[in-house]
Amino acid sequence: MAAAAVAAMATAADDEARLLRLEEQAGHGGGGAWEYLCLARKLRARRPDPVLRLGLALLNNSSARSRLASEQWTLYEQVAVAAMDCHRLDVAKDCIGVLSKQFPGSARIGRLEALLFEAKGEWADAERAYALILENNPFDQIVHKRKIAIAKAQGDMSLAVEYLNKYLELFMADHDAWRELAEIYVSLQMYKQAAFCYEELILAQPTIPLYHLAYAEVLYTMGGLENLQTARKYYASTIKLTGGKNTRALFGVCLCSAAISQLTKGRNKEEESSELQSLAAEALLNDYKQRAPSKEVLITNMLKNMKLS
Amino acid sequence: MGAECQYELAQAAYVKLALHALKHPAAAVNGLLVGRLLDGASSPVVVAVVDVVPLSHCPHHLPLLPTHELVLNLVEDHFGAQGLAVVGYYHANALRDDADLPAVAKRVGDHIFRNFPRAAVLLLNNNKLEEAVKGKNREPVVQHPILSNSSKWISSTV
Repeated sequence: MAAAAVAAMATAADDEARLLRLEEQAGHGGGGAWEYLCLARKLRARRPDPVLRLGLALLNNSSARSRLASEQWTLYEQVAVAAMDCHRLDVAKDCIGVLSKQFPGSARIGRLEALLFEAKGEWADAERAYALILENNPFDQIVHKRKIAIAKAQGDMSLAVEYLNKYLELFMADHDAWRELAEIYVSLQMYKQAAFCYEELILAQPTIPLYHLAYAEVLYTMGGLENLQTARKYYASTIKLTGGKNTRALFGVCLCSAAISQLTKGRNKEEESSELQSLAAEALLNDYKQRAPSKEVLITNMLKNMKLS
Repeated sequence: MGAECQYELAQAAYVKLALHALKHPAAAVNGLLVGRLLDGASSPVVVAVVDVVPLSHCPHHLPLLPTHELVLNLVEDHFGAQGLAVVGYYHANALRDDADLPAVAKRVGDHIFRNFPRAAVLLLNNNKLEEAVKGKNREPVVQHPILSNSSKWISSTV
């Protein structure tokens, strides 16, 4: 199971690397723009500048555009969103205009138009537009999420939390939403609630190391002996799931052990924990020796301080 | 803390700050200010900020303890060898018009203040940063809350 998780992470990393390579290549006029745009769409990567530049170049080139045939509409949509991200609202408006002529009355275009309101900061119009779409389709996930985004953009975090909770009652399996909620709770320093969200995520997808790591960090921040011990367990499971490559988890184990020994000074020391700590410390030192030998001294000092404290 | 305190921000430090914020336009960024006390006896006291260490651009890592503890330790060690210390903290908000210092920034500021009583917290003004990028405005892009006597961070002009 751990191997599958590592393999999945490896392909994701490969995809990211390929995306960046294509971006470079297409940016220097070396072709591959369409491939890049498709990959960006598949990975849902947020790279507005290159997408806008390359997408617009493709769209303005009428021969390239006609070669795309029916795919050109997806490209219009992609460029419209990228334009809004770069605040090029004129470009976005043009793209949406073309699309609405081609697909009149479409809910998908309606979402884009409402997004344009959002980009202009016209929140009331955007909310009205979204409410209209929801009347026809009350289970439109994307529109629900945009409502949450509007609340967040206006800085109203408690409203965003309220909307997110309502959304999760309807769509309990939306992991991204649970993550978003956890992040908002953390930013509001509501650590217990954030921990709950991460627990849900770990239950649903126990092989994703990201959730273990985030959960451990929240537990560490909450503090207290039990939380620290649990945090150390989750740092350890992160290490297992990432094959020992996650530096933060290695650091986390050392920090937890140091903090726990601070709290349990004078009480019976556990024997099993010291092995974990020394293994993590060794792994950290090796990592730094290989990747950043100039900083190795810092780590040695820090570890020495921790063992003494 | 009644004495006036002046802060000199080295150009390299300032540029690193601004670039860090510009690189991640959709997220909040933060980092540490590193420097030294130039002349403790004179008045106004001058603190020279020589360098910055960008910390993170992930909204969910900002208020979490383990990274901060680690980072403060490592940075103190590393720069301690050169006679520098952590003298402050900088923060840029994700929302463009958000001109408040978030609670987490205040807490980190308090923590640094305990070790270095002349600590400064810099909050980037996103609007000014945007104008500076367009070349319109050459004013400095930081607001500078300082620790007042009643241990609250209040704004002061740069």
